[in-house]
Amino acid sequence: MLRLLSFLLTVLVMLPPGQHAQAFDLGTDRLRVSGFGTLGLTWGGKKDYGLQKEFIHDPQFGGVSILTDSVFGLQVDFNIAKNLDATIQAVAEDRIRQDFNNIVDWAYLSYKPTANSVIRAGRMGVDLFMLTEYRNVGYAYLWTHPVIEFYKPISLSHYEGFDFRYSRRIKPGYFEFKVFGGQTGSDIDVGSGELNLRMRPFVGFNTSLEENDWKIRLTYTTTDTAFIKAPADPLVNALNRVPQALWPQAAALHDQLKGVDTQTHYFSVGFSYDKYNWVVQSEFALIASRWASIGMTNGYLSAGRRIGPVTLYTVGSYARSNNQPRVDQNQIASADLQGLAIATQNLLNAVHIDQNTVSLGMRWDFHSRAALKVQWDHTWTRKHGGGLLELNKPLDHDITLNTFSANLNFIF
Amino acid sequence: MRLLIILTALILFLPHHALADIVVIVNPRSSITALTHHQIIDIYMGRNPGLANDQKLQPYDQALDSTIRSEFYYGITGKPVSAINAYWARLLFTGRASPPKSVANDDAILAIIEKNPIAIGYLDKRYLNDQVTVVYTIKRQNQEKPDTELQNTHLSDTLPVTEKP
Repeated sequence: MLRLLSFLLTVLVMLPPGQHAQAFDLGTDRLRVSGFGTLGLTWGGKKDYGLQKEFIHDPQFGGVSILTDSVFGLQVDFNIAKNLDATIQAVAEDRIRQDFNNIVDWAYLSYKPTANSVIRAGRMGVDLFMLTEYRNVGYAYLWTHPVIEFYKPISLSHYEGFDFRYSRRIKPGYFEFKVFGGQTGSDIDVGSGELNLRMRPFVGFNTSLEENDWKIRLTYTTTDTAFIKAPADPLVNALNRVPQALWPQAAALHDQLKGVDTQTHYFSVGFSYDKYNWVVQSEFALIASRWASIGMTNGYLSAGRRIGPVTLYTVGSYARSNNQPRVDQNQIASADLQGLAIATQNLLNAVHIDQNTVSLGMRWDFHSRAALKVQWDHTWTRKHGGGLLELNKPLDHDITLNTFSANLNFIF
Repeated sequence: MRLLIILTALILFLPHHALADIVVIVNPRSSITALTHHQIIDIYMGRNPGLANDQKLQPYDQALDSTIRSEFYYGITGKPVSAINAYWARLLFTGRASPPKSVANDDAILAIIEKNPIAIGYLDKRYLNDQVTVVYTIKRQNQEKPDTELQNTHLSDTLPVTEKP
């Protein structure tokens, strides 16, 4: 209830004065105020297995929630001078830390030195995968929420730094190349508590080629975890203190669970097709990292068919951890370490990911600035593969989960 | 025989609105005299059309819910206007570009193009005058207008073609 009130208060503070759309006609081409929002109802999760579409949200252990998908955003673009613009975007949504620093999602300056290039500096949206930059703008994509298996592991919303984008039409299509660098972080809810993450340097590039009806996109990003404060810190620190003679594997397990000073590489390839009545989109990623919580492969394929203002769609998605480290009991030389060994194995099981989802849904564009969507997700999670869920108890058997969501998406 | 009579009657009573083509227009003071299909797409989809000498054009849109807007975008991209609206939401809320400014109708488009040397707009060919230059034409078949802005699939076989102005 406190988080619902907190969300509603943030929305109220962000609402611009005036009751009509005309309030945004500010009589100048230099200033533009626009916004987006989602009013969503989600039914999902089970008593011991919480649904969490993004790590910043409270998990949902059954029942109906208005917070899971609801979001409200306001964006101000201001043309300062020829080729120089400023943009601020504020986003109100359920998050573990509802402070000014998190609400201001973007604040940057952009400069166009040539017609084909743009340089930006400030706080900007993370641009890892196809939807990461606009995951909050439900009106801009087909589904009720970004595919959980693909987008939930990216808990990063923005970064502080710069980017440079070059684009031009070449023979096969419209080409774009973007390079970026800076630092990022997030404050997320991992069930057992709050996890604070700071990553720097955060650098990468993406490149795309698109024609009117198709697009292909390749991305690479690398980052180093500079700081982490997590509920599992005491256990991880205890592993670090174990003498090698008593438990030789402890050092390797510490290395796979510590997070800090761990390099992570994100590779992805994406494809989309949109023409006449068909909408197809697919992405696959490899997240390479020693950190057991993050290293995984994931992907999805979505296909939709337009019938007048209605689009019917289906999505299939998966996520699997790259490795499944296990505690080797034979290596433990002291009975005093059994408790630590069990806790370590439980943590390894809890962060391991092995999950698939099939979704069916419908989007109805009933208005030029609003759409209504409904979606059913059927999820299979394997034993000790619930790293994308919030677990109240160890997942010692395979489970299935059903999630129903209904959203009203709008822009203004 | 009865079936034949019914079919004939249906054909006779079907409306035959002769829809004029959609023309893309600029100010006569502009050095641009013709644009390609790709350039029209790039201009109206927030990309750099790569015009000679990096010339700038400021695109204007018809009213958000107008039929001509949905037919224009369907004609150049093959996508329903709902997909175009979602596309522009992506561009706007990723800070890449702002959508073309909307005006009320053909008269308003004409008034802007006549005054603004870098403006570009589109309108029904029937409302053309000699104060503007046609740089691209989207052919429309003689048929009934689509019922909704979102379902104009009968335009799908009508590929846009350029016409010499």
